[in-house]
Amino acid sequence: MNNMKSLKKYIAPLLLTGVLACQSLDEDPKGFTTPDNFYATIQQGEAALTSSMNDLWNAWAPGYSYGYGNFIYDDQLLDGDMVIPNDFGSSLWDQHYKALNNVNGVLRAIKKGNFKGVDQSEIDGLEAQAKFLRGYNYFALVRLFGDLPLITEDTPDPVTNPIKERTPIATIYDLIVSDFEFAITSLPASWDGQPGKPTAGAAKGLLTKVYLTMATAPLNKTENYAKARDLAAELMADGTYSLIENVEDVFKPENKYGPEVMWGFNSTSDDPATDAHIWTPGVMDGWGDASLDPTWTDEWLKTTEPRQDAYLILEFDGIPYTDFDEQRPFVKKFTVPYISQEEYENGQTTANLPIIRYADVLLMYAEAANMANGGPTPEAYEAVNQIRRRAYNLPLNTPSATSDLAAGLSKEEFDDAVIDERNHELSFEYDRWFDIIRKRLLIKLNTVNHPDYLPNITDDDYLYPIPTYDAKILGSQNPGYTGE
Amino acid sequence: MMKRLHNTGKAFLLAWLCMLCIAARANEPPKATAATVAPEKSISGKVTGDGEALPGASVVVKGTAIGATTDSEGSFKLSVPDDATTIVVSYIGYVSQEISIGSQTVFNVLLIADVATLGDIVVVGYGVQKKSDLTGAIASVKGDELAQLPTQRVDQALQGRAAGVMVLNQSGAPGGNTTIRIRGSSSILGGNQPLIVIDGLQGGDLNSLNPNDVESMEVLKDASATAIYGSQGANGVILVTTKKGKKGHPVVNYSYNLGVQHLRRKLDVMNAGDFARSINDFKASQDQPGNVVITPTPVFTPDQIAGYDKNAGTDWQNEIYRSAAMQNHQLSVSGGGENVQYLVSGGYLNQQGILINSAFKRFSLRANVNVDITKWASFGLSWAGIKETGNTPPFGEGAAIIDPLGQVVSVAPRWDATIPVYDENGNYSKHPSGYGEPNMWNPVASANEAFTENNSIRNNINAFLDFKIAKGLTLRVTGGAITRNQDNFRYFNRNTFAGFQKNGLGQVDDAMYTRYQNSNILTYDKSVGRHHFVITAVAEQQVEQTKASSILANDFLVDRAGIFDLGGASTVTATSSNMKRVINSFLGRLNYSFADKYLLTASYRADGSSVFGQNNKWGYFPSASVAWRISEEGFLQDVDAVTDLKLRASWGVTGNQAISPYASLSQIISNSDTRYPYNGGGATDIGFDIARAANPNLKWESTTQTDIGLDLGLFNGRLNLTADYYVKTTDDLLLSRQLPTYTGFPNIIDNVGSTRNKGIELSIGGDPVVGPLRWNTSFNISGNRSKVLKLSDANKLPFRTTPGAGYGISTNANTALLYLQEGQPFGQMTGWITEGTWGEGDRDKAAAFGQLPGDIKYKDQNGDGLINNKDLTVIGNAFPKFIFGWNNRFSFKNFDLSFLIQGVQGNDLFNLGRVRLERPGEGTSSSLLSRWTPDNQDTSVPAFTKQSERKAAGLTNKVTVGDNRVSRWVEDASYIRLKNITLAYSFPQVLTRKVGMNKLRLYVSAQNLFTITKYTGYDPEVSSFNTNDANIGVDFASYPTSKVYSMGIDLTF
Repeated sequence: MNNMKSLKKYIAPLLLTGVLACQSLDEDPKGFTTPDNFYATIQQGEAALTSSMNDLWNAWAPGYSYGYGNFIYDDQLLDGDMVIPNDFGSSLWDQHYKALNNVNGVLRAIKKGNFKGVDQSEIDGLEAQAKFLRGYNYFALVRLFGDLPLITEDTPDPVTNPIKERTPIATIYDLIVSDFEFAITSLPASWDGQPGKPTAGAAKGLLTKVYLTMATAPLNKTENYAKARDLAAELMADGTYSLIENVEDVFKPENKYGPEVMWGFNSTSDDPATDAHIWTPGVMDGWGDASLDPTWTDEWLKTTEPRQDAYLILEFDGIPYTDFDEQRPFVKKFTVPYISQEEYENGQTTANLPIIRYADVLLMYAEAANMANGGPTPEAYEAVNQIRRRAYNLPLNTPSATSDLAAGLSKEEFDDAVIDERNHELSFEYDRWFDIIRKRLLIKLNTVNHPDYLPNITDDDYLYPIPTYDAKILGSQNPGYTGE
Repeated sequence: MMKRLHNTGKAFLLAWLCMLCIAARANEPPKATAATVAPEKSISGKVTGDGEALPGASVVVKGTAIGATTDSEGSFKLSVPDDATTIVVSYIGYVSQEISIGSQTVFNVLLIADVATLGDIVVVGYGVQKKSDLTGAIASVKGDELAQLPTQRVDQALQGRAAGVMVLNQSGAPGGNTTIRIRGSSSILGGNQPLIVIDGLQGGDLNSLNPNDVESMEVLKDASATAIYGSQGANGVILVTTKKGKKGHPVVNYSYNLGVQHLRRKLDVMNAGDFARSINDFKASQDQPGNVVITPTPVFTPDQIAGYDKNAGTDWQNEIYRSAAMQNHQLSVSGGGENVQYLVSGGYLNQQGILINSAFKRFSLRANVNVDITKWASFGLSWAGIKETGNTPPFGEGAAIIDPLGQVVSVAPRWDATIPVYDENGNYSKHPSGYGEPNMWNPVASANEAFTENNSIRNNINAFLDFKIAKGLTLRVTGGAITRNQDNFRYFNRNTFAGFQKNGLGQVDDAMYTRYQNSNILTYDKSVGRHHFVITAVAEQQVEQTKASSILANDFLVDRAGIFDLGGASTVTATSSNMKRVINSFLGRLNYSFADKYLLTASYRADGSSVFGQNNKWGYFPSASVAWRISEEGFLQDVDAVTDLKLRASWGVTGNQAISPYASLSQIISNSDTRYPYNGGGATDIGFDIARAANPNLKWESTTQTDIGLDLGLFNGRLNLTADYYVKTTDDLLLSRQLPTYTGFPNIIDNVGSTRNKGIELSIGGDPVVGPLRWNTSFNISGNRSKVLKLSDANKLPFRTTPGAGYGISTNANTALLYLQEGQPFGQMTGWITEGTWGEGDRDKAAAFGQLPGDIKYKDQNGDGLINNKDLTVIGNAFPKFIFGWNNRFSFKNFDLSFLIQGVQGNDLFNLGRVRLERPGEGTSSSLLSRWTPDNQDTSVPAFTKQSERKAAGLTNKVTVGDNRVSRWVEDASYIRLKNITLAYSFPQVLTRKVGMNKLRLYVSAQNLFTITKYTGYDPEVSSFNTNDANIGVDFASYPTSKVYSMGIDLTF
């Protein structure tokens, strides 16, 4: 009976273990990825950046295609009566911020010291890519939407700490400039076997565009012209990038990753796969959705440059565009012959959409040099003329009366000529709207093309509306829009 | 101070080992008592109860160990000391009697059944209470009540038994699921299924429990009763107590039940001739108006039709439904000595389904053992092992990987009688083209060729140690585990729709679920004068984990090996997951009574749960209740009629832990949508996307419930009445809340909504007739009204039903059939009201809408002369206004007759299947025969109006009804049903004894014998979409309920 009595001894321990041996309530998920168990290797960091680019793809480029719907108020695309409705362009807002969330996740992890045991230079490379992408995301947002909720790796979680006010444009640009500057110093000139990743050169190209934009509306900080000019000059002296000599070859698949294209949306045949039929006329079995404004094409087609044939579908199987059902030219840059007939028929777009390419750098140089100098310099002339010579398929470095701009243009005349050149050379690369807003061209363009839209145009149209729910939380909306 | 699990494990192991050796000693035979030397005398007698001899009753001289048990005739003989004064006669289930000996030597003892005491004890959370002491709303169902009516499943047996408890069979499939709602639905995303606690072990499962093992079930309804379960108590709690062995001779019980199931009713479809004519008539109406009217060629020739008229064609419902056998064996042995009591029971259920190729089997085994170690320590162990295996061809929403065209239940009645099952080559026939849905798959092939095998093995183990530490102070330490292994195989060969599309399609799902629970319950019971206290304090921890994997394979080169050779598939997709939930709890309860008159219960529980957000790891759940037993007051003491009168009031807060593990954490995902060719190589690169925001504030849904109740017992317990009124308000309801997208997320799951349920419950029961003929009856009725008080951003929340293409029920959230709307009840259906068809007399009125006589007449809700989205309105509600059950037992001599009538009142069902069964040009429904014609204008079935006629009328259509959300398909699903009726005969013991049996009972029984309803589908008791309660109320392709006839035998040795 002794051992039975001694059982009493067990009561206390049992009670204690029962009461005190609580299980930890912290969740340690397995088979479930959270920011706490991610971002441990460079590959994981780059996978987050990969996803951020996929986010942007969903807004800009559901096939370089319906993304055009966000830019119908430019003069190149049909439609857009200059009555911009609430929530217009919200997919750009949504997806850029979604991308920023993924990018900031990487930067936050780097700051926390997550990448233990990884070579510092590799961490710097990852940080530079992330900052490059963040700079690009904010650059797109600030131009489209103005003052922004600013979220960086240091911002308290905006889900639990809603942001109640927007940061002014100038402050956003400070971050953009510093991000690109970091990218320029820490990114390599090229990635071995990974031609699609951001490079120092692409960072310089984008920073050039940032400076040029800061020099124009709405900031109009003209001291930035010189910075843009000098940065572009560096790229021109560097020799890494160059113009493709033949204008028909610019968008050929073998030139997807240079020497002219510096960075952009990449694509492969499997994913993200999209359909190029959107750009093509019915006669090509296309859907003809992305229609061009006839007043814009007519103006361009008055010239005789071969570039039109390279960038536009002017005929198919011997049928001129005038005999298309749509009776309009279509866009060629993202469809056959720049992708194979088979890919076209399978509904795949394998053409890249450039975000920055060398032709743009030359034109930015021309613009910046002219404006910084108070008039066109010989170098500025040469830069724009190279683009024009190529448009005529003439030797790039040989002056030609056929192609070159007339000598002796005033500062303003030269500037107009450069913007015009951008209008054609960079057409449908989602660049035109940004030129229109930074140069405040809406009245000028519509006076010629669509006088009927003029009553609808105000300065408010240079910014898109903040999406309604976000505006409500932020407590402010852009002028001219309701729904705060 | 937090220790890890393995430490706890070690401590328990130690405790158990130590207990095992004690138990071994406890089994040693007790030492013989010293022989008595006093002079003796001999007494003898007979013990009877309820007019029967009681064998095995014990007769003991009071205060000694001297005694005997009665023989098979109930007789005993005993030598007692001369100075013995009293004998004690006892028998389980009867009130013990003390009889003074005096000079008497022959004793004929009549024992009185102890029904009152058995019924008097009610199991409550973490303890038991006298029924008279209850302050909360608890409905009790005794096991022997269930045993009167043969049943296969405990959850189904609960139907109609308790006020306020709605049990809904989602489908009639063998082993199918039930929806149980206690006092309505309050949660939207969180689930509303009550917590099941079996012998103290939480997280149990009613449908795998052997009904024969149930001693009692308690349904805890109000917060006073459920708050003790804190964050898991908001949907009510069902406590199940299983049978235990009792001291006495071993009792062997065997029962057998053999049943046959039939389809309760068939859908009324056309025979081959009628169908062919209907198709031709419709085709003729599709003429092309123009200068020359082009009349289409008929689909069926007159010769064909003549042939069909001779031979009615294929009855597809007969092809896929059958009469199906069902048998159930039960064997149990129970008994025990002074120190050890045991019960071992086994069950085997083999149920064929009424749908061909469907079946369900369940093997169950239970062992309950209780051991008294010392006077102050005892332990118990219960183990239940259940193996279930079932197969059912694909039907309804649950068949997620099956296209609706390959489902059996919805497709079979849609195949018309003109098509033979097999073609001339003996292959499954294909649907002919030229009418209807040519891609629809042969339903006999869908049923016969699908291979399914769902296996599950469950183990429920529960052990406890009881210590009587001091007078009134007891400690119970329990350790329990539930494990469940699930292996499901499905294979669709090329003779099935899915297999044809995918060149063979197979799926293997494996899941392992484990749940551990340790509860340490300290109880102190103390009386001081007229004050009585019971204090309960509990520390408890629970760990629950699910590990699962799934393999989906298709493109099989060899179709035959199928599921058991996944390696033969060209495409294989595998997924796996792991989820863990930890709950730590501390709780306390005080029961206080004064003079058995004034009763008070107060409880408080703190639950820490891993699934709650970082900032809200602990939830707190208080409750309080009072009761006044007016019948104990002096002024009622003299009123003999009133045996018991009690007023109760309670208030409390409970929670719903409706959050899946990790839901409060931010989630990063990778899938085909997050990829992008970032590196610029030829292939895409894997991307990882932050897909969900963290919500560190996420917490339980919180339900505050107030209840007022009344218990009345009249005429010595012959009439009992219980009534309750409650209001339940649920706040912090989990819903998706919109986020500003600058956060990177469109929305987040957050505690934002609010709902309210109010209701009344009434139960009346008693014994109106006693004597040779006895009638015991109980009736319960309850009504619940729900209201959505607050939703998140919009005041309207759509829910989608996904029947597949062609039903005109949109999957677009903006045009959903089912909405939750602030200020409106749950289960609301939105659509257009139809008011039959336009008659000839209404030609002008119809023309105003651009319609002709024979067209559907829509109600112009807003009177603007147009039928469009502005005329959408409420067209039905899926939740009943009242539910009721009426249970009866008549016994006369050796016969007894029991039956249960059960029903619901005031609910609607959207009969989605009718949309296509009644579609002109494809439908097979006989209602198309009563379509509108000039001679038959009083009908809701529109005419087959000729296109040319319509054109000639030259009307402008004003009716824009884009889909099938019309009241024509909404039907009243109220029903009254004879759920179960059983007539039994028990052979007199005089006879059974002769063959060594104590009891022999034979019975015949029927389930669902008749149903009174206006509902035209297979069965009014159905719910096809069960992802959440906002989806209840749609009937689509559910396995029909069957009617069952059975006979059985119960034997006791």
